[in-house]
Amino acid sequence: MEVELIEIRQFLEQRSPFNYLGQELLDQLPKDIEIRYLRRGGRFPPKEGFLYVVRSGAIKILDSSGELCEKLAEGDIYSVTCQLVNLSQCDHGEAVEDTLLYMLSCDRLKALCRESKSFGEHFSATVKDRLRAAVTTTQESDDPAVAAMMVEIGSLIRKDPITIEAGTSIRATAALMSNRDVSSVMILNDGKLVGLVTDRDLRKRCVAIGLTGNEPIDQIMTPDPKTIDASTLTAQALMTMTRMRFHHLPVMQHGKLVGMVTATDLANHQSANSAYLAADVRKAKSVTDLVEVSKRLPSLHLHLANASVTARHIGEAVSCLTDSITGRLLEMAEAKLGPPPVPYVWMAGGSQARHEQSSHSDQDNALLLSDDVQPEHDEYFSALARFVSDGLAECGFVYCPGDAMATNPQWRKPLKVWMGYFDRWIQSPEPKSVMLSSIFFDLRPVKGRIELFTPLQQNILKKSQENRIFLAYMMANAMSHRPPLGFFRQFVLERGGEHDDTLDLKHRGIVPITDMARVLALSLGKEPVNTVERLRACAGTNVLSADMAENLEDALEFIASLRIHHQAQQIKRGQKADNYVPPGELSELEREHLKHAFRVIQTMQESMVKRFGADKLG
Amino acid sequence: MSSVFTRFFSKDYQRKKALARVAPGPLADYLATPFPDRKSDCRDIPIVALDLETTGLDPRKDVILSIGLVEINHFGIRLGTAWHSIVRIDRDIPGETAVIHHITDDQSAAGAPIEQLLPELLQRLAGKPMLVHYSAIEQNFINTACQRLYGGPFVVPIIDTLEIGQRVFVRRNHTIQPGDLRLFNLRPRYNLPQYKAHNALSDALATAELFLAMADNLYPGRPCPLGEFLSRR
Repeated sequence: MEVELIEIRQFLEQRSPFNYLGQELLDQLPKDIEIRYLRRGGRFPPKEGFLYVVRSGAIKILDSSGELCEKLAEGDIYSVTCQLVNLSQCDHGEAVEDTLLYMLSCDRLKALCRESKSFGEHFSATVKDRLRAAVTTTQESDDPAVAAMMVEIGSLIRKDPITIEAGTSIRATAALMSNRDVSSVMILNDGKLVGLVTDRDLRKRCVAIGLTGNEPIDQIMTPDPKTIDASTLTAQALMTMTRMRFHHLPVMQHGKLVGMVTATDLANHQSANSAYLAADVRKAKSVTDLVEVSKRLPSLHLHLANASVTARHIGEAVSCLTDSITGRLLEMAEAKLGPPPVPYVWMAGGSQARHEQSSHSDQDNALLLSDDVQPEHDEYFSALARFVSDGLAECGFVYCPGDAMATNPQWRKPLKVWMGYFDRWIQSPEPKSVMLSSIFFDLRPVKGRIELFTPLQQNILKKSQENRIFLAYMMANAMSHRPPLGFFRQFVLERGGEHDDTLDLKHRGIVPITDMARVLALSLGKEPVNTVERLRACAGTNVLSADMAENLEDALEFIASLRIHHQAQQIKRGQKADNYVPPGELSELEREHLKHAFRVIQTMQESMVKRFGADKLG
Repeated sequence: MSSVFTRFFSKDYQRKKALARVAPGPLADYLATPFPDRKSDCRDIPIVALDLETTGLDPRKDVILSIGLVEINHFGIRLGTAWHSIVRIDRDIPGETAVIHHITDDQSAAGAPIEQLLPELLQRLAGKPMLVHYSAIEQNFINTACQRLYGGPFVVPIIDTLEIGQRVFVRRNHTIQPGDLRLFNLRPRYNLPQYKAHNALSDALATAELFLAMADNLYPGRPCPLGEFLSRR
């Protein structure tokens, strides 16, 4: 057929996910298309059982209560009616302009999904799979020249692979593992890798269910484990492992098993990127030296972003460096002022505490002093705080606009005062204290007498867990940042149909997740302050399903990695890094995945508002 | 409108009359298929959008160069029905028309003779209204070919988007400027995209989309009686 004569193929092939179809499928695509016209005000969808692509015009999609869900413009795709499990309430609407629609039947769509895996991934039933695919696509698109500089996984292998023959008993396998002091062993059959057993398998699949140990190892191994090629770049491997939640990966070279890497090996290697900076921090003799080292922070950010390191690991690397710089400043201060009159601990708040700092974060910190402190000691601690805070500012960590710093006498107090603060915030929450919560309920000791911090933390976790009203206030506060609906043409589409020119990735995507994770962790008395760790710690409880936890984690990683790359571009251009992305700068695929991420956040916000009774506050 | 009624009524009469006279063959088979009732709802019946590229405007001297068509069914354009064919002609393509249709002599030489293509065209049109933009060309050229090859007339119910466009202008008391009624000037009025390509299939599709837009605007969400859209030709 001569469908190339009509410009439908060209229109579709440059749009995601049609661009993932091979030439052959693209050639076949137009003949399965039906075209329909909707005049302004016409009902959408004109008939059920199709995927729709807007060729020209615009459509608004509403939910069952008539609330605007999204707006579709030229090139936008609507596939809700084709989804097997349709969880979306947003299932009807009308044309807001005269509109020409391309339609593909759901049956044909399903066939295409079977024929092209990458195309199909786009329509996977779960948001999880989509976001996961998104993280991969975005990160794989990096500059190959830069990625090639990264170390290959093969070079990390230090010992020969520890293997055992299939059929060996569980007990003999366990004995070998403790003998060789390894946490995992690979199972071979005729020299071929057939399985993998880890410490965890021995616990969960053997001891926990009461096996005797005489059974063959095959019974509890993970059969056909995923392997990785020795030429894979470490950054890539780390990403795979994080995403698949594997801790062990057998390494293959030319089809032969050559060893094993663990997530720990990789994390150690990755942080080596920042390790040379950390070494320079330790060697620094003056604030001026530290300022010099800090100047390299943006390039560390850039380097890690180019090397496809996950947003989470970049946050960790930068936060660790800030910790080092803070620690070195404290040593310098003590060298200058003399030893402290009573023990203290320097605490980091906010993003540094959460290990989620970017290279231009504000400083949030506080001093926790021993209860033995005397009024006359304040001169010392005031000077110490001033020295460190000024030093941090010189290094590029701007002063906290809300004055949440140890230089503020209010935040330089003995343990009993801090206990009182938290008791008051938790027992009689008010807007001001709730605002401080994002800083002081994410608190981590950085340096000093760490033991001082433990009772404070225990007290916070115990009290907040018991206080439903406090949690309701926290959740209500978490609702002050909500994701937008999505995009419409070159704009961000807001609730109610308003348009915005730029998307604030931080406040519309990252902060809502961080805020919810905090409420969840406090409600369950979980210690972690890092958002991903909080989500994992709360996963599988009655407040957060394991599925939702994964969805939120993936949404966070996706939005955060967009932010990292946006900022990396700005750093490269010599601009100041910020959080504002004009929708025009986003690829179609990124917009699509962002919409899914927003939906995950919105769904969770709505369910948490109800659960914590935040909707019942005045 | 009454004239349209009688004309169309006589169209089916013309069809039967022609059928009685023509020898068995592709045209007779075509004429044997009844036309849809003029009271039919356009939303329910198949309609064939057609465009021809020709060497000129005079059916006595000029010939068909290419045929493009696509079928509308239940107000959806089914691209699976799209058909495009280039005709092998017995002469050089005049340079001044090649600028418009971009068909080269080589492409034409690789095409099929009209004797082979006309039966398929008639088969695809049988029993369906023919949707065109400015009907004189299509009707006259196909008619001439039918007379020459089968010795009988090409009778067909016609929907002409140019005529509908004219009616809309008149109804709204708009004065018609030169060029207003051309296919690619009417389309933006309905927010339809501009196509770069200019060939028989692309133009047939452009006409089909324009018709859907016009019909839905004239009869929003209501039945569109076929009789109201049929050309006087």
